[in-house]
Formats: sequence, C-alpha cells, structure tokens
Amino acid sequence: MESQNKVSMGGMDGLESREKEMKTANQRTAKSHELLARLLAFVLTFVATILFGLNKQTKVVPFQLTPTLPPINVPVSAKWHYLSAFVYFVASNAIACSYAALSILLLFTSKGENKILAKMIIFLDTLMVALVFSGNGAATAIALMGYKGNSHVQWKEVCSVFGKFCDRGAVAIGLSQLGALAFLLLVLMSSLSSNKRSSKY
Amino acid sequence: MASTDKPTDPEYNKEARPPPPATVNYFAFDVSLRVLLFAAAVTAVVVIVTSDQTKFIPMLGILRKAKFKHSPAFVYFVVAHCVAGLYSIITTLASLSVISKPNLSTKFLLHFAFWDVLILGLVASATGTAGGVAYVGLKGNNHVGWVKICNNYDKFCQHLAGSLAVSLFASFVLVLLVWLSVYSLHCRVPK
Repeated sequence: MESQNKVSMGGMDGLESREKEMKTANQRTAKSHELLARLLAFVLTFVATILFGLNKQTKVVPFQLTPTLPPINVPVSAKWHYLSAFVYFVASNAIACSYAALSILLLFTSKGENKILAKMIIFLDTLMVALVFSGNGAATAIALMGYKGNSHVQWKEVCSVFGKFCDRGAVAIGLSQLGALAFLLLVLMSSLSSNKRSSKY
Repeated sequence: MASTDKPTDPEYNKEARPPPPATVNYFAFDVSLRVLLFAAAVTAVVVIVTSDQTKFIPMLGILRKAKFKHSPAFVYFVVAHCVAGLYSIITTLASLSVISKPNLSTKFLLHFAFWDVLILGLVASATGTAGGVAYVGLKGNNHVGWVKICNNYDKFCQHLAGSLAVSLFASFVLVLLVWLSVYSLHCRVPK
C-alpha cells in the first residue's frame, strides 16, 4: 500500500511540475493578451476623448431676416460642450481612459499575484463597460438627432451645416464603441481564465 | 468496497467540499437578482409604453401627440428592455436548474458572466440613449435651436423619467450579477 502510494506520489510530482510549467506559460500568454486588450481600451478611449474634445467648427451661415433685404452672414459655431450628452460622452471616455492607464500601471508593476487587486480591477472593468456604453448611447442618440432631426418635436437637423463636426463626432463615437468592446472583452477574458484554472483540478 | 471507499473519502472531502455550500448561497442570491432584473425591465417597458399623451397646443391651435415611437432612441430603449426581460426569464430558469443540479454550476457561471456583461452593455447604452434625448426634451438647447417639450407634455416626461430611473436600477442589478458570477468563478480557482 505504501509503495503504491510512493509510486503514485512520484508520478504525481512529475505530472505536477509539468502542469505547473504549462500553467505559468498559459498565465504568461493570458497576461500578454490582457495587456493587449487593456492597451487597446486605453488607446481607443484616449483617441475618442481627444478627437471629441478638440472638435469644433465655426461656419458663416447666410441668414435672411426679411425677404426684401439681402441675407446677413452670421458666424455660428458648434462645440462639443454645447450639448450635455456630448459632455457626458467626453467625461465617461476620459474616466475610462485614465482608469485603463492606471490599471495597466497597477497590474503590470505589482510583483507576483495580488488576488485582491485582480478582483478589484475586474469589478471596476465591469463598471467601465456600463459607463462607456451609456456614454456612447447618449452621444449616438444626440448625433442621430443631429443627422436626422425630429419632425414631431420640431428639432431640426444640424449636420447639413456642421458637416465636419458631425463626421468627426461619428468617428469618435465609433472608436469609443470599440473601446467599450475592449473593456467587455477584458471581463470575458478574466472569467474565462479563472474558469480554465478552476477546471484543471 | 466500504474499506476502499473510506481512505479516499476524507481527501475527497477536503478538496470538493468547500465550493458547494458557497455556490448554493450565491445561486439563491443570483436568482433573486435575476427576478429583480425581470421586474425592472418589465416596469421600464410598461411605464414608457403607457406614456403617450395628447395635448392641445395653444400656440399652434391644434392637438398634438407625444409618443415614444416618435423617437428612435426610445424605440431602442423599449427593444433593449424587452430583450433584457426575456433574457432574465431564461437565466432565472437556468439558475434555478443549477440549484437543483450543482455539478453544472461552473459551466453555467461562465455563460452567465458572458451574457450578463453583454446585456449590461445593451441596457446601459439604452439608458444613455434615452437619457440623452430626454434631457434635451427637458432642458432644450439654444445652440442648435431644439426647444424643450416637457413644459407641454408633463405626463409624457414624468413617465420617461420614471422609466429611466428603473432602467438605471436594472443596469445596477446587471453590474451586481456580473460581479457575482466573476466573484464565484474567482472563488473556484484553487489557492
């Protein structure tokens, strides 16, 4: 019985060491994937914030007071902080981008495995998914209103005047949407990796 | 048979025992959160669908209707919450089935984490979408010449506000659900 146990123990040791090697290798690739996704989230939200934050357009529009007089040229401008939905969009992206930078710093400078930190970061990732998605939703709704207008409440479309502003805004919203998907991917990756690690035993 | 079983039993117990009681607790919590999510989604849909209001506008001298269908943002909101409601029914049943068969729980937890986070994105974006449009309706915007409409359609706007609050609550519940699944998956990783 004892000898049997010893044999099985020896076999287990060999297996365990090999398994450990595989595990560390797996963890390394998982970590590099995570870094990639985090960097992607950071870059996308950063570019979206900058693109939208610097977005403004001034245009001279002929404005006719009365049909008899010649039209007066009035300069009008579109700025991102004129609409509260866009302010929310920029703020949510700025928060997400700074959080992504902070999480990269925290995760990849801490030595060894810090379980509490890892858990905290996954929890905050989930919050970021909600934040960035809702910011995108708000900005998309207002941008769509700018493109199409709404005849029922007499809100006129403004993108025919501010074409450049609208195009840039659309690009920023698209980038931010991809950034939100990167955050979503991070949550999925972490649950997948913990599932993998738990199913090995 | 009994003698061969006995030596393995204590070891087996050490490794396998800790998860089950914990998961049973978590799944009960999971089910109650999912039922809450269902209630929130249904409430949000019902409140926004019943928001239609017809009012006489003195300035134009005609009757005008305010409907949620007039804005694509609110249509998206309703569709997203219908999806979330259906999803919550299905996952409540799944979660209940896990309670009766605990050996499948890890697989289910992974699926829950996957889909919960997707539905969270859906509900959060729907809340943002409807909130953005509703805010313009409440305050108006001088810069682009969009006039506010909530001074005319008071009931419509109250319904919208209620629906948005419930939807915010639903996204909070979804965040909790994702946290719960991720946390219980993390707890299964051996130390």
